[in-house]
Amino acid sequence: MKIKNRSKICLIISASIMVIALILSLCGQGINMGIDFEGGLSMEYNMKVAVDKAEVEKVLDGMNTASYTVTVQGSDDDEAVIRIKDVAQDDIQKLQETFENGIKAVYADAECIGDVNYVGPVAGATLVKNAILSVAIAAVLMLIYIAIRFDLNSGLSAVFGLAHDVLMMLSFMVILRNVIQMNSSFIAAMLTIVGYSINNTIVIFDRIRENAKKMPNAPREEVTNISIKECLGRTICTTATTLITIVALCVLGVASIKEFALPIIIGILSGVYSANMINGYVWAFLEEKRKSRKA
Amino acid sequence: MRSNNRKRGKTGAVVALCIVLALTVIAGVIGVTGLTLPPRGLYKVLNWMPTTDKANWPESIPLGLDLRGGMYVEYSSEAPEGSEANFEELLNGTMSIITQRLTDKGFTEANVQRIGTDGIRVEIPDVQDDTVLDLIGAAAKLEFKGPDGNTFMTGDMVKTATYYYAEGDHQIAFSLTDEGKELFADMTAKSVGQRIAIYLDGVELINPTVQTAITDGNGVINGLGTAENASTIAAKIQSGALPLVLTQQKVDKVNATLGADAVSSSVKAAIIGILLVMVLMIIRYRLNGVVASWALSIYVILLFFLIALFKIQLTLPGLAGIVLGIGMAVDANVIIFERFNEEVRAGKTLKNAVRAGFKNAMSAILDSNITTLIAAIVLLIYGTGSIQGFGKTLLLGVIVSMFTAVVVTRFLLNKLVQTGIKNVALFTKVSAEKEVEE
Repeated sequence: MKIKNRSKICLIISASIMVIALILSLCGQGINMGIDFEGGLSMEYNMKVAVDKAEVEKVLDGMNTASYTVTVQGSDDDEAVIRIKDVAQDDIQKLQETFENGIKAVYADAECIGDVNYVGPVAGATLVKNAILSVAIAAVLMLIYIAIRFDLNSGLSAVFGLAHDVLMMLSFMVILRNVIQMNSSFIAAMLTIVGYSINNTIVIFDRIRENAKKMPNAPREEVTNISIKECLGRTICTTATTLITIVALCVLGVASIKEFALPIIIGILSGVYSANMINGYVWAFLEEKRKSRKA
Repeated sequence: MRSNNRKRGKTGAVVALCIVLALTVIAGVIGVTGLTLPPRGLYKVLNWMPTTDKANWPESIPLGLDLRGGMYVEYSSEAPEGSEANFEELLNGTMSIITQRLTDKGFTEANVQRIGTDGIRVEIPDVQDDTVLDLIGAAAKLEFKGPDGNTFMTGDMVKTATYYYAEGDHQIAFSLTDEGKELFADMTAKSVGQRIAIYLDGVELINPTVQTAITDGNGVINGLGTAENASTIAAKIQSGALPLVLTQQKVDKVNATLGADAVSSSVKAAIIGILLVMVLMIIRYRLNGVVASWALSIYVILLFFLIALFKIQLTLPGLAGIVLGIGMAVDANVIIFERFNEEVRAGKTLKNAVRAGFKNAMSAILDSNITTLIAAIVLLIYGTGSIQGFGKTLLLGVIVSMFTAVVVTRFLLNKLVQTGIKNVALFTKVSAEKEVEE
């Protein structure tokens, strides 16, 4: 098996995915923000019979609410999730009562199940701020650690890979907007990937560190090629074991677990991809540049 | 003599493996079914050990709000207009008043937590009733009672109450409105040497002895022990209402059945995951795969034992993190076995291959786990609620998986090789002529 430097092609592929996501976002087809980020009131009702979305919307139309969405779910399509945006804190209880009275006129056995969830307008902004802050702090700390244990170029290329993985996760949240909503568990998923996907990079960089010592005169790109190949067995095996459990979770889990598991699956795949196809070559490129500057 | 030693070494290795196997099985069974111990016994000395009949995992692990059901509220807070008191002091005061109110009303498991600079998060398990929220925000009733136990003054007559430190003592200075000044002057004049008491929501806060009549409406309460005690009480006296103005940012009522579904589906996913990972490891690494599966079982047992021991709250992302961790926990084993296989293929004896495999794998294992630890710690510090719970399980998972890989796998592998197995094909695929004899 031969590994070639295809990092340029791979970077172009990744960049195109990100650009597509960006264009979609600019066209108003961006990430499907969940209630945690966007605020509002969300209620879940079981109507005991198959739900007609139009009927539910009629009830909501009669309530003078701002914008709302109705999602029908459940194995028998008997559940409806109602989300109302721009709700003032004092109106929550009144709103819920009005809706309950209205819906009971249509579905007599309707019953509030699951979450009743209210998020104020400020909470979402705080969440975004904290998310960006925590990813940035984690990235800087990792950069410092890798720069100490390896070298600065390794640190830079590993963090480059991290940024790639996080952007890929965000891009796929845009592309899969009809499948998945972004809620606070996405932040946990993102940080999980920041922590785990870097493992692949580190294991390969560990090989590179070892091989670079053995062959100081070989081109860095070749060292990277050899190291990636030597690690391939481990990469495949660990990726497989990790994917097994998380896919099982995604298939069997409830909706809120899926919201967490799906971004992780994307992140793991993106992490393997960047560790094997991109990061090592970024390091090789930086090292050669440093060498030629010295010479 | 030498061969005798070797024989003894072989028997020792087999015995050691059998003991570890027995311990693994016993610990696993106890973990799942629980263990009922007689109420009195020497083990009671170690009162942190889960020794009651609730010692099995499912019951001794506290579930987070998202799995157990209940409600949580997040508030942002700001100082009332014109207040010049220290914000930190007011925030701590507010939190302790909320905690006390909830405890008084029987919500003993409620948890009041600070988020960020000005946020307060209140978690109340098992309850989905809006009236609890009124309880949190309601104005408190502050009463001053004379030595006879009758209320002579109320909280609305207190202008300010601030904590300060002077003459080596923690004190509270307070000032009263004109109306309060007269009432207080009357009462203190006739009760010098006796005690008056200050009550909040019917609970006694403090009962200082009157030393002299206080006629100018400015008094001092001293001898309050600690700074924390004094500033908390000051915050409570300061205002009949909460010291800070709270705005609800987030209310979430979680249905308990949803949580139960999440737990059962995660457990199912975990069991399927564990079995598939074991099959995969055994197919690829043969006897080493058996060792890895064994170590994985020990990892799971140890992880849940520690979660129960430290009473780490299990949240939805935390649970998902554990399931994900199962796949990652074998990673260190994989790194070691790949190195081991390389060494064997290079012609080393099994014993030397184990040694060299561990030695070469160690730097990769250490570096990759430490970077994950960094992410876990950041989550722990900057996360709130369920995300923080996830940070805790992630942190614990990484530490336990490092322990099982470095200590348990190494021990098992060494003992396995010492039993005298020489057939390299039991460990990895090798061409026939390369098979080595010790």
